[in-house]
Amino acid sequence: MKRPPMLMHVKIRGEGRGFGLWLPLFLVLPLALALFIILSPLILIAILVFWPSGWRKRGLHIFGAAFEVFNSMRGLKVDVQSGHHCIYISAV
Amino acid sequence: MAENKKKVLEMLAQNKISTDEAYRLLSALESEGGAAEDTSKAGTAAKMKSKYLRVCIVPGSEHEHGGKADRVNVRVPMTLIRSGMKFTSLLPPEARDKVTGALHEKGIDFDMRNLKPEDMDEFLEALSDLEVDVVSSDGEAIKVFVE
Repeated sequence: MKRPPMLMHVKIRGEGRGFGLWLPLFLVLPLALALFIILSPLILIAILVFWPSGWRKRGLHIFGAAFEVFNSMRGLKVDVQSGHHCIYISAV
Repeated sequence: MAENKKKVLEMLAQNKISTDEAYRLLSALESEGGAAEDTSKAGTAAKMKSKYLRVCIVPGSEHEHGGKADRVNVRVPMTLIRSGMKFTSLLPPEARDKVTGALHEKGIDFDMRNLKPEDMDEFLEALSDLEVDVVSSDGEAIKVFVE
Protein backbone atom coordinates (compact mmCIF):
# COMPACT_ATOMS: atom_id res chain seq x y z
CA MET A 1 0.00 0.00 0.00
CA LYS A 2 1.44 3.32 -1.08
CA ARG A 3 1.54 6.04 1.52
CA PRO A 4 0.32 9.39 0.21
CA PRO A 5 2.58 12.42 0.66
CA MET A 6 1.98 14.42 3.81
CA LEU A 7 3.63 17.72 2.94
CA MET A 8 4.87 19.54 -0.11
CA HIS A 9 7.68 22.05 0.14
CA VAL A 10 7.68 24.67 -2.61
CA LYS A 11 10.44 27.25 -2.78
CA ILE A 12 10.72 29.84 -5.54
CA ARG A 13 13.50 32.39 -5.63
CA GLY A 14 13.89 35.16 -8.18
CA GLU A 15 16.13 38.20 -8.52
CA GLY A 16 16.63 39.21 -4.90
CA ARG A 17 13.25 37.96 -3.67
CA GLY A 18 11.58 34.65 -3.14
CA PHE A 19 9.20 32.66 -1.00
CA GLY A 20 8.82 29.22 0.46
CA LEU A 21 5.66 27.29 1.26
CA TRP A 22 4.90 24.13 3.17
CA LEU A 23 1.65 22.76 1.72
CA PRO A 24 -0.23 20.35 4.00
CA LEU A 25 -1.12 17.61 1.51
CA PHE A 26 -2.56 15.45 4.27
CA LEU A 27 -5.53 17.81 4.24
CA VAL A 28 -6.19 17.28 0.52
CA LEU A 29 -7.82 13.85 0.82
CA PRO A 30 -10.34 14.79 3.57
CA LEU A 31 -11.15 18.01 1.68
CA ALA A 32 -11.56 16.10 -1.59
CA LEU A 33 -13.85 13.61 0.15
CA ALA A 34 -15.97 16.46 1.59
CA LEU A 35 -16.10 18.11 -1.85
CA PHE A 36 -17.06 14.79 -3.45
CA ILE A 37 -19.97 14.36 -1.00
CA ILE A 38 -21.16 17.95 -1.58
CA LEU A 39 -20.93 17.63 -5.36
CA SER A 40 -22.25 14.06 -5.55
CA PRO A 41 -25.68 15.10 -6.96
CA LEU A 42 -23.95 17.03 -9.77
CA ILE A 43 -21.58 14.12 -10.39
CA LEU A 44 -24.57 11.78 -10.63
CA ILE A 45 -26.24 14.07 -13.19
CA ALA A 46 -22.98 14.30 -15.16
CA ILE A 47 -22.71 10.48 -15.19
CA LEU A 48 -26.26 10.16 -16.52
CA VAL A 49 -25.66 12.85 -19.18
CA PHE A 50 -22.41 11.32 -20.40
CA TRP A 51 -23.65 7.71 -20.16
CA PRO A 52 -24.39 7.25 -23.89
CA SER A 53 -21.13 8.87 -25.07
CA GLY A 54 -18.88 6.46 -23.15
CA TRP A 55 -17.21 9.27 -21.19
CA ARG A 56 -18.70 7.99 -17.92
CA LYS A 57 -16.24 5.10 -17.72
CA ARG A 58 -13.31 7.25 -18.85
CA GLY A 59 -14.19 9.97 -16.30
CA LEU A 60 -14.23 7.45 -13.46
CA HIS A 61 -10.89 6.05 -14.65
CA ILE A 62 -9.40 9.56 -14.69
CA PHE A 63 -10.45 10.05 -11.06
CA GLY A 64 -8.86 6.72 -10.13
CA ALA A 65 -5.63 7.46 -12.02
CA ALA A 66 -5.38 10.97 -10.54
CA PHE A 67 -5.78 9.50 -7.04
CA GLU A 68 -3.03 6.96 -7.77
CA VAL A 69 -0.70 9.66 -9.11
CA PHE A 70 -1.30 11.73 -5.98
CA ASN A 71 -0.51 8.72 -3.78
CA SER A 72 2.72 8.06 -5.70
CA MET A 73 4.12 11.53 -5.26
CA ARG A 74 5.97 10.82 -2.01
CA GLY A 75 9.70 11.22 -2.62
CA LEU A 76 9.36 13.51 -5.63
CA LYS A 77 12.03 16.20 -5.70
CA VAL A 78 12.62 18.85 -8.32
CA ASP A 79 15.45 21.29 -7.79
CA VAL A 80 16.27 23.58 -10.70
CA GLN A 81 18.64 26.54 -10.49
CA SER A 82 19.33 28.87 -13.33
CA GLY A 83 21.42 31.88 -12.52
CA HIS A 84 19.80 33.62 -9.58
CA HIS A 85 16.48 31.87 -10.16
CA CYS A 86 15.61 28.73 -8.28
CA ILE A 87 12.62 26.42 -8.11
CA TYR A 88 12.48 23.69 -5.51
CA ILE A 89 9.57 21.28 -5.09
CA SER A 90 9.66 18.35 -2.72
CA ALA A 91 6.92 15.98 -1.60
CA VAL A 92 7.49 14.20 1.71
CA MET B 1 16.09 -30.77 -12.73
CA ALA B 2 13.17 -33.17 -13.24
CA GLU B 3 15.33 -35.31 -15.54
CA ASN B 4 18.01 -35.69 -12.85
CA LYS B 5 15.39 -36.79 -10.33
CA LYS B 6 14.06 -39.31 -12.86
CA LYS B 7 17.57 -40.70 -13.37
CA VAL B 8 18.00 -41.13 -9.61
CA LEU B 9 14.67 -42.98 -9.41
CA GLU B 10 15.62 -45.16 -12.37
CA MET B 11 18.92 -46.04 -10.69
CA LEU B 12 16.99 -46.93 -7.54
CA ALA B 13 14.57 -49.09 -9.53
CA GLN B 14 17.50 -50.88 -11.16
CA ASN B 15 19.03 -51.45 -7.68
CA LYS B 16 22.16 -49.55 -8.71
CA ILE B 17 21.86 -47.37 -5.58
CA SER B 18 20.32 -47.87 -2.16
CA THR B 19 17.28 -45.99 -0.86
CA ASP B 20 19.53 -43.91 1.46
CA GLU B 21 21.73 -42.86 -1.46
CA ALA B 22 18.68 -42.02 -3.57
CA TYR B 23 17.28 -39.93 -0.73
CA ARG B 24 20.59 -38.06 -0.34
CA LEU B 25 20.83 -37.42 -4.08
CA LEU B 26 17.24 -36.16 -4.29
CA SER B 27 17.79 -33.86 -1.30
CA ALA B 28 20.94 -32.46 -2.92
CA LEU B 29 19.08 -31.84 -6.19
CA GLU B 30 16.25 -30.06 -4.37
CA SER B 31 18.64 -27.80 -2.43
CA GLU B 32 20.46 -26.93 -5.69
CA GLY B 33 17.14 -25.99 -7.32
CA GLY B 34 16.16 -23.87 -4.32
CA ALA B 35 19.48 -22.00 -4.42
CA ALA B 36 19.07 -21.21 -8.14
CA GLU B 37 15.53 -20.00 -7.52
CA ASP B 38 16.71 -17.80 -4.63
CA THR B 39 19.38 -16.22 -6.86
CA SER B 40 16.85 -15.34 -9.57
CA LYS B 41 14.43 -14.00 -6.93
CA ALA B 42 17.21 -11.85 -5.45
CA GLY B 43 17.95 -10.42 -8.91
CA THR B 44 14.31 -9.55 -9.48
CA ALA B 45 14.03 -8.06 -5.98
CA ALA B 46 17.09 -5.89 -6.62
CA LYS B 47 15.46 -4.59 -9.79
CA MET B 48 12.18 -3.97 -7.99
CA LYS B 49 14.07 -2.06 -5.29
CA SER B 50 14.86 0.70 -7.79
CA LYS B 51 12.81 3.47 -6.35
CA TYR B 52 13.77 6.68 -8.08
CA LEU B 53 14.73 7.98 -11.48
CA ARG B 54 17.39 10.66 -11.00
CA VAL B 55 18.34 13.38 -13.43
CA CYS B 56 21.29 15.55 -12.37
CA ILE B 57 23.01 18.34 -14.24
CA VAL B 58 26.09 19.58 -12.45
CA PRO B 59 27.91 22.62 -13.89
CA GLY B 60 31.59 22.54 -14.69
CA SER B 61 34.18 24.21 -12.50
CA GLU B 62 34.43 27.20 -14.92
CA HIS B 63 30.74 28.07 -14.42
CA GLU B 64 30.84 27.20 -10.72
CA HIS B 65 32.98 30.21 -9.81
CA GLY B 66 30.58 32.68 -11.47
CA GLY B 67 27.70 31.47 -9.30
CA LYS B 68 25.31 31.70 -12.25
CA ALA B 69 25.53 28.10 -13.33
CA ASP B 70 22.45 26.07 -14.25
CA ARG B 71 21.95 23.17 -11.91
CA VAL B 72 19.24 20.49 -12.06
CA ASN B 73 18.52 17.80 -9.53
CA VAL B 74 15.33 15.84 -10.16
CA ARG B 75 14.22 12.71 -8.35
CA VAL B 76 11.06 11.02 -9.65
CA PRO B 77 9.62 8.02 -7.80
CA MET B 78 9.24 4.97 -10.08
CA THR B 79 5.71 4.48 -8.70
CA LEU B 80 4.83 7.94 -10.02
CA ILE B 81 6.10 7.00 -13.50
CA ARG B 82 4.12 3.76 -13.34
CA SER B 83 0.94 5.59 -12.28
CA GLY B 84 1.48 8.36 -14.83
CA MET B 85 1.85 5.86 -17.65
CA LYS B 86 -1.64 4.57 -16.87
CA PHE B 87 -2.96 7.89 -18.17
CA THR B 88 -2.03 6.78 -21.71
CA SER B 89 -4.85 4.23 -21.60
CA LEU B 90 -7.29 7.06 -20.82
CA LEU B 91 -6.48 9.00 -23.97
CA PRO B 92 -9.44 9.17 -26.36
CA PRO B 93 -8.91 7.06 -29.53
CA GLU B 94 -8.84 10.21 -31.71
CA ALA B 95 -6.01 11.71 -29.62
CA ARG B 96 -4.11 8.41 -29.72
CA ASP B 97 -4.40 8.31 -33.51
CA LYS B 98 -3.09 11.88 -33.71
CA VAL B 99 -0.11 11.05 -31.49
CA THR B 100 0.63 7.91 -33.51
CA GLY B 101 0.37 9.94 -36.74
CA ALA B 102 2.69 12.66 -35.43
CA LEU B 103 5.26 10.06 -34.32
CA HIS B 104 5.03 8.36 -37.71
CA GLU B 105 5.71 11.70 -39.44
CA LYS B 106 8.88 12.03 -37.36
CA GLY B 107 9.95 8.57 -38.47
CA ILE B 108 9.08 6.81 -35.22
CA ASP B 109 7.03 3.72 -35.91
CA PHE B 110 5.26 3.42 -32.58
CA ASP B 111 1.57 2.71 -32.11
CA MET B 112 0.21 3.72 -28.71
CA ARG B 113 -2.72 1.31 -29.13
CA ASN B 114 -0.27 -1.58 -28.80
CA LEU B 115 1.01 -0.34 -25.44
CA LYS B 116 -0.13 -2.84 -22.80
CA PRO B 117 0.32 -2.74 -18.99
CA GLU B 118 2.68 -5.76 -19.23
CA ASP B 119 4.86 -3.81 -21.69
CA MET B 120 4.98 -0.88 -19.26
CA ASP B 121 6.10 -3.14 -16.42
CA GLU B 122 8.79 -4.63 -18.65
CA PHE B 123 9.87 -1.15 -19.73
CA LEU B 124 10.14 0.05 -16.13
CA GLU B 125 12.05 -3.07 -15.14
CA ALA B 126 14.49 -2.46 -18.00
CA LEU B 127 14.79 1.15 -16.92
CA SER B 128 16.48 0.02 -13.69
CA ASP B 129 19.59 -0.81 -15.76
CA LEU B 130 19.66 2.64 -17.34
CA GLU B 131 22.67 4.86 -16.74
CA VAL B 132 23.56 7.91 -18.77
CA ASP B 133 26.70 9.81 -17.87
CA VAL B 134 27.76 12.65 -20.15
CA VAL B 135 30.55 15.10 -19.39
CA SER B 136 30.99 18.05 -21.74
CA SER B 137 34.30 19.68 -22.60
CA ASP B 138 33.68 22.53 -20.11
CA GLY B 139 33.15 20.04 -17.30
CA GLU B 140 29.35 20.10 -17.20
CA ALA B 141 28.08 16.67 -16.21
CA ILE B 142 24.69 15.19 -17.06
CA LYS B 143 23.67 12.06 -15.24
CA VAL B 144 20.50 10.02 -15.64
CA PHE B 145 20.23 6.91 -13.52
CA VAL B 146 17.92 4.79 -11.42
CA GLU B 147 18.61 4.26 -7.72
